[in-house]
Amino acid sequence: MVLSATTDGGERKIRRNGSFGYVVPALLLIAFFFIIPVLMLLMRSVLEPTPGLQNYRELLGSTTYLRVFLNTFTVAGLVTVVAVVIGFPVAWLLAIMPDKWSRLVMAIIVLSMWTNLLARTYAWMVLLQRTGVVNKMLINLGIIDKPLALVNNLVGVTIGMTYIMLPFVILPLIGILKSIDPAILRAAALCGANKRQCFTRVLLPLSLPGIASGALMVFVMSLGYYVTPALLGGTSNMMLAELVAQFVQSLVNWGMGGAAALVLLLVTMVLYAIQLKFLNPNRAR
Amino acid sequence: MKKQTIIAVLAATVAFAGQASAADMVFTSWGGTTQDAQKQHWADTFSTEGGVNVTQDGPTDYGKLKAMVESKNVAWDVVDVEGDYAVQAGNAGLLEKLDFSVIDKTKLDPRFVTDYSVGSFYYSFVIGCNKDAVDACPKSWADLFDLAKFPGKRTFYKWSAPGVIEAALLADGVAADKLYPLDLDRAFKKLDTIKSEIVWWDSGAQSQQLLASAEAPFGSFWNGRLTALAQTGVTVETSWTNNITAADALVVPKGTKNKEAAMKFIANATSDKAQAEFATMTGYAPINTGSPKLMDEDLRKTLPDQKAETQVNADMSYWAAHRDEIGTRWYAWQAK
Repeated sequence: MVLSATTDGGERKIRRNGSFGYVVPALLLIAFFFIIPVLMLLMRSVLEPTPGLQNYRELLGSTTYLRVFLNTFTVAGLVTVVAVVIGFPVAWLLAIMPDKWSRLVMAIIVLSMWTNLLARTYAWMVLLQRTGVVNKMLINLGIIDKPLALVNNLVGVTIGMTYIMLPFVILPLIGILKSIDPAILRAAALCGANKRQCFTRVLLPLSLPGIASGALMVFVMSLGYYVTPALLGGTSNMMLAELVAQFVQSLVNWGMGGAAALVLLLVTMVLYAIQLKFLNPNRAR
Repeated sequence: MKKQTIIAVLAATVAFAGQASAADMVFTSWGGTTQDAQKQHWADTFSTEGGVNVTQDGPTDYGKLKAMVESKNVAWDVVDVEGDYAVQAGNAGLLEKLDFSVIDKTKLDPRFVTDYSVGSFYYSFVIGCNKDAVDACPKSWADLFDLAKFPGKRTFYKWSAPGVIEAALLADGVAADKLYPLDLDRAFKKLDTIKSEIVWWDSGAQSQQLLASAEAPFGSFWNGRLTALAQTGVTVETSWTNNITAADALVVPKGTKNKEAAMKFIANATSDKAQAEFATMTGYAPINTGSPKLMDEDLRKTLPDQKAETQVNADMSYWAAHRDEIGTRWYAWQAK
């Protein structure tokens, strides 16, 4: 909109065409390797074994599968909450630290993202198992006398996934927190607000757009997670992606696999639409 | 001009790729110590003798296999699969018929030969125990299902396959010769009693890790994985009481471009020498009846085919017929 006020129509058209041309390879790539295969899988969900909606009926009508849906949302919700609670202070620290130090901390955070996901998940397995480092330490310190069940259950999944998702909360938050003028906090303090009030009435509301976009991103990403829940969770915490894999690989029932995948995709898209509508980063600023 | 160059390069690439794959074939199995042995004693010997380069891939994935056959783009030439799946996939038209003019089936154990598959090796689900981690080791399936006598975590094979259901029924007192048809209600009821203490292993390597770290100090294992683990210095006790046998099978996906090489590969892999060497390395039993006499006498005694006394043979044709039904129920039960 700003652009149209300063440049004439013809030039704008050229720019648009030019930039669109460069996007074509990416779009083709996505169409070929993502959209078409997804559509083919979705077709199977209404065609196999016989045409009709019986796969969806079975999926949505069975308490077992509804449990898997519930698990998926529980895990994604838990991970989101924990990641925000842990991530916020880190982001705040990074926002107010001297640049030299914040760059170092940032490097550590980003470095963890570059490490292989499987390796990181296995590392958690070794740390958290009954005979693992964490349990041994706690026992030797006399804090517990029996090893805690930290893996192959909800606790393990939440710890492993929160760790992986943390950067996705921290990174968008830093930007928002940095854009908050410190003078506003100073003003609040001068006007008699105590530390708690400064946080709940000034800092928190101002950083809410950042929290919301980070949280939604983590939630949506968590919904489709496969490796970490499969390795760190038990079968009773099964999530949707695992169910899809089971249908496709082990039971070779692609109709049901497609149906489960479509439900997951739809939920994700709805959430993404909400994000686009209400949490436009440009508007937040 | 530019376009022509690109097309030429593409064409050359395709031609090159085609050429490369003509001299190559791909063998797919489950990874870990088992596939290492298969590579060494089946593939590498074949590569040097037959002049065909065998590439390893894995792990075996039935979804992928089906996708390859349906899209007529078969990248796997010989695949190691579970015996019951081989029967089912053969009936479903996913496999090539084996060429028994190339593969000599007269010396193969007939229990593991069908039109579409031959045995790969044959193994037992046995009770394994990390002796250093516990005071006493479970000796029978009933022990393994007894939380009062043996408290703590125990590990079982995660996927729906012959083995765990049979173990549950045996633990519940079903006679070994009365297992089939499987009483699923009874099996799941028995499994319910220990469900909270089960840690599932989804790969052989994971089962070894769970036992070695004593995360689960006992459980049901593929016998060969225990042999391999014992060789690394872990004090493993194995109980063969009512060991439950099942076999892997070698199959050729329908539409492979290297059918001839695939048949020759299977002929080599199931030969008495290759089977004997594989068995020596892994602790799994050979399916070639000529292999035992080529093997070390002491080692022979430790293999599943020598533990026949209380042995239970999983009924592959029963499983092939009920695979989907049991699987659906199995996973639903697990997720509960």
